[in-house]
Amino acid sequence: MIGKIVQTLGPWGPVLFGIGFLAPLIAQSMEALEIAAPFGLSFIQTGLLIGAGLGLAAKLRGRWI
Amino acid sequence: MNIAVTEPVTGAPAGEKSDRELAREELTIARKYIGPFPVVMAVWGLGNLVCWLALWPLVMTGTLSLWIAFPLATLNVALCYLPSHEAQHSNYAKSGEPLRWLNEFIGYVSTIPLVLPFKTARITHMDHHTYTNDPERDPDYGVKAANWWQAILTGIGRRQPGQPNAYGKLLRAKAEAGDETAKRAMMEGLAQTLSFWVILTALAWSGYAIEAALLWWLPRHIGMSYISLFLSWFPHHPMNEQGRYRNTRHFHYWFGNVVSFGMEHHIVHHLHPGIPLNRNAAAYRELRPILEKRGCRLDGV
Repeated sequence: MIGKIVQTLGPWGPVLFGIGFLAPLIAQSMEALEIAAPFGLSFIQTGLLIGAGLGLAAKLRGRWI
Repeated sequence: MNIAVTEPVTGAPAGEKSDRELAREELTIARKYIGPFPVVMAVWGLGNLVCWLALWPLVMTGTLSLWIAFPLATLNVALCYLPSHEAQHSNYAKSGEPLRWLNEFIGYVSTIPLVLPFKTARITHMDHHTYTNDPERDPDYGVKAANWWQAILTGIGRRQPGQPNAYGKLLRAKAEAGDETAKRAMMEGLAQTLSFWVILTALAWSGYAIEAALLWWLPRHIGMSYISLFLSWFPHHPMNEQGRYRNTRHFHYWFGNVVSFGMEHHIVHHLHPGIPLNRNAAAYRELRPILEKRGCRLDGV
């Protein structure tokens, strides 16, 4: 059961990391550094866009850097 | 693959000590350093964990600046492996001894900052000792690199998504062969890794993303690189020889033995894993004439 969940979610790890961790990290960093969010978006919306985007790119490329 | 398996010469010229005499002398010296409870390593392991845990409330309450806590957390993560390493070798207490619980406790909790599951570490590390520098069977062989900075880059490359995980592969092979300890190790490893990501995500969405990044996530990556470089690459480089007296070397690090976490004398650990880290240097000094006769790689001496 647990193995199946991990097998299903595992390949999506980078995207989950992008949404779960990078998104709020980007949002809170922008706020702390007083960087304005573009296009009238909120900090967290910007974080989610960038975080999920980076995660998806990492999933497709097979590497973050 | 250019791997040489080198064993000591068993015949001895007249006037020189025989292989058996050397082995007896080596064991006599080693036994002097094995035995007493390694208090230093136990205090190191538990104290380091307490320091790292204390950083969280100190930072979250604004008592300590995050910019001071970040390098401290990085140091804590880098330092957390070696006390667990002693536990992997049961150097605090062997199975059946009264303090066995403490051995296992230190093994499990000291590497929480590194998110390294104890059973996984123990199983894979024992295989590393058995098959040191074997390209197929040494789970740490992936650190092989031409120089130190390539070793760091290789380590970062191995942590990218989708890259083969040598530890996972080894555990899976053992589990499929019916090894119950390996099956348990896989479950514990999964639980610990998932817990790490759940805690990190929960902290991030609770408004502590920067704190989580600078107290755990980034220190863990820096710590893993440091540990891999000093505990795996430096002592075994260039990793092209096997055999008891040639698979590990003594080396001199530019910034000293303390900065290398005592790894200059890692050859002593491979020969006698029962000697705790804090006694390796003294044991090395006494063993050195024997190691020279054995043709060990005592680089930079």
